[in-house]
Amino acid sequence: MIRINETAWAAMVAHAEATYPNECCGAMLGQTKLGTVDGDVKNVTLAERLENAYAGAQGARYEVRPQDLAAAEKKARAAGLDLIGIFHSHPDCDAYFSKTDLENSCPWYSFVVLSVKGGRFDHANSFLPNAEQTAAEKEELIWPKS
Amino acid sequence: MAKILIPTPLRQFTDKNDSVELAGATVAEVMAALTQKFPDLRKQLFNDEGKMRSFVNVYLNDEDIRYLQKDATAVAASDTLSIVPSIAGGSHGDGHGSH
Repeated sequence: MIRINETAWAAMVAHAEATYPNECCGAMLGQTKLGTVDGDVKNVTLAERLENAYAGAQGARYEVRPQDLAAAEKKARAAGLDLIGIFHSHPDCDAYFSKTDLENSCPWYSFVVLSVKGGRFDHANSFLPNAEQTAAEKEELIWPKS
Repeated sequence: MAKILIPTPLRQFTDKNDSVELAGATVAEVMAALTQKFPDLRKQLFNDEGKMRSFVNVYLNDEDIRYLQKDATAVAASDTLSIVPSIAGGSHGDGHGSH
């Protein structure tokens, strides 16, 4: 389960809406509690906007610059937090894990996809891709007011 | 010995250590020492053919080893190696959803 607090969620939605009609991306920082009654619970308390580094049209593509991700990891370490996952938006498109998402994913993180329709947040889902980049399991996602 | 920073999700395979110090003259040697010390880490970083998974990047200090001498890049005791994944994607590609 991944739970996103109000501050982080507001930052993620604001970034997704401000970046519309392009895709946004960012890093989710927080802490993981292992072995709770709900299983492992990832609590996201900070969302870091990252620049979409995809070189072409960004309406349906995003790319995280590795050095930006390294900087987010460094920031998490300094704050005593974990880098828990990556978020990105799907403008005018449902929050599913596309073939492009899967083929460019990493199994170590949660991937939250925010659907933005007509410039406004619509819905979101979280996914856990496998190491072979062939399948992604849906993960329970809890955000404020969901 | 060079220091390797371990990303959070991989610490479950390194006895919860967030960094590990290992000897090795090159990136390949240090990475081999890492997966020898923590065998469960191997399948996270390498595929069945023993090649580093496509999404795994290794940085020597702040430089991507792909732009140095790849895994033959020399490593000094004062160096820090970081494991950083490549991540990208997008709704484009398979006509799913309402795009």
